[in-house]
Amino acid sequence: MSVSSFAGPFVPELVLLAGTLLIFLLDVLKVRRIELTGGIAVAATLAALGVVVADLGFAPLAFLATVPASQIDVAPAAGAAPLFAFTSFGLVFQAIFLLATFFVALASVSRPSDERGAPIFYGLLLLATIGMLLVAIASDLIFLLLAIEVVSIASYLLVAYTRKDVRGLEAAMKFFVIGALSTVLSFFGASLLFGAYGTTNLYLIRAAGTAVGYPVLVLLGYGFLIAGLAFKVTLVPFHAWAVDVYDGAPDDVSAFLAGGTKKIGVFAFFLVFLGPVLAVGAVGSSGYGLFGGSVALGASFQITLGALAVVTMTVGNVLALLQKEMKRMLAYSSISQAGYMLIGIAIGTAPALGGATLQVFAHVLMKTGAFLVVGAAAAIGVGPLIDDWRGLGLKRPLLGVSFALMLLSLAGVPLTIGFVSKFVLFSAAVDAQGWFIWLAVAGLLNSALSVFYYARVLKVMFFDAAPAPAGAPAGSVVGGAGPPALPLGGIGYGRAASLAIIAALIVAFGIYPQAVLGAIQSAAYHFVTVGA
Amino acid sequence: MTDLSLPGFLALSAALFGIGVFGILTRRNFILLLISIEIAMNAVILNFVYFAAFPAGTSGLSGQSIAVVLVGFAATEVAVGLAIVLALNRLKGTINVARATELKE
Repeated sequence: MSVSSFAGPFVPELVLLAGTLLIFLLDVLKVRRIELTGGIAVAATLAALGVVVADLGFAPLAFLATVPASQIDVAPAAGAAPLFAFTSFGLVFQAIFLLATFFVALASVSRPSDERGAPIFYGLLLLATIGMLLVAIASDLIFLLLAIEVVSIASYLLVAYTRKDVRGLEAAMKFFVIGALSTVLSFFGASLLFGAYGTTNLYLIRAAGTAVGYPVLVLLGYGFLIAGLAFKVTLVPFHAWAVDVYDGAPDDVSAFLAGGTKKIGVFAFFLVFLGPVLAVGAVGSSGYGLFGGSVALGASFQITLGALAVVTMTVGNVLALLQKEMKRMLAYSSISQAGYMLIGIAIGTAPALGGATLQVFAHVLMKTGAFLVVGAAAAIGVGPLIDDWRGLGLKRPLLGVSFALMLLSLAGVPLTIGFVSKFVLFSAAVDAQGWFIWLAVAGLLNSALSVFYYARVLKVMFFDAAPAPAGAPAGSVVGGAGPPALPLGGIGYGRAASLAIIAALIVAFGIYPQAVLGAIQSAAYHFVTVGA
Repeated sequence: MTDLSLPGFLALSAALFGIGVFGILTRRNFILLLISIEIAMNAVILNFVYFAAFPAGTSGLSGQSIAVVLVGFAATEVAVGLAIVLALNRLKGTINVARATELKE
């Protein structure tokens, strides 16, 4: 195998790695202009995105394709145990991840804080993105968990990258402790599955299904994996860290965490639990017999994941209703959105997984955008409380209109991508029949509930009088006001461009969802049939 | 190689893992917390080595190789944790997790 044929499929990762190394090299050479490092990061992300989209079969970019179409969505030879595999489902997720990184990288070019941190921020951002791309091609449990750790370790450091901000450092410490706990839980689960199946390859595990000698190891292993991965996706019993971390992290990093890195957990859930959810039959007590009896694998996982989904969306929404601070409200709303995504894997049919993937895509646009708006508002001196945003919508039309679109989309109002994704997801739940209909009902009730707190923000922004300018803004900005005022009234070109693109995409895909829906649905279909 | 039976081994590994997780949840001193993480990680590594030999799967050497990779990974994680707590110690002069109170509960 020549070097080029081995490296070929990894072009997106290699482009990002080259960007990372270039940024760190320039840092050593003391070239730290944020426009330059940011430009490298944006360019590398766009190039990688182009390659991934070309691999997905987007004809106008076909000249960029690096993975031969004959290698995508192919089941491995019987007994083979590949570490990674290229599936169109994974490529869709790669594109989604790269989109999140692109928005954050573009917006951060006009970040008001000091330039010294720029190379660290962008280098770590690209490193985390490499890990995310690796997650999306994993077909082995250990490969998957190690790729998740690449992302986690980079994001602990991202939260703390300013090094001067006590809130950021404390958030990083909490993030690290919870992350380490989640890591040992997932790896312990993986080790038990290794004991049960004699392999960590997801294809082989799925093929073995219920035919195992040690059913108790299977159940314990998946149990620990649910707990470990649930921390990453912020499912409800494991969600408490997320609000503090999103609140304490620098705004652009919160956008990346909520919009980007959280989605690797969602993908990991899809990848790991598709096998057990679709397993027909029961794991019996044939083996060592530590526990008697037998458990129907598929049904019990569907009920567990479905219950987690409903609890997560309800608790997240109720707590979001009670928040007074913008960032904390968005963090809780992000938790509740994770519940909607989990519906997809609880049902496990191709339309449901497609709907959940569309929800992930919509969430990247909405939540990354919302946190970026919060960052922009902080940069122009708006305080952290929702009440501090009075009248902002009329005073700052760009922020107001784009934020309004994101909130309407989060609430699921028609003509936005958020409506389409919820519609596809909930109708898949109804089509699946049985008790899955109740998942759709729970989702719809929660969407109605969430309208309250989104509408409250809209009312404050557009219909309340602006506060008197005399009061000094209670800014939570890192580093305070930067010396040179940024263009566009303190928002900056990069952030304005990022927000404008997000707002345009939310509406464009809301009106014409077919542009992505077909690709996502066919990817989900291949994912369910070929697997892993 | 089967001197240690499966229930006996599971008890050992569960005990190690339990001690580690209990430590992560209760320790307030960051250094002890890192040690607890290591203990729990060692339970995982032990599992891989044991299961590579015991249930006679098709694994070959994969259990042992995973163990080696995980040793390296655990070291990376601790290094990052120490870097964060060092920066915090410079600002606040404490490595006590419970004193990190700038963020509301």
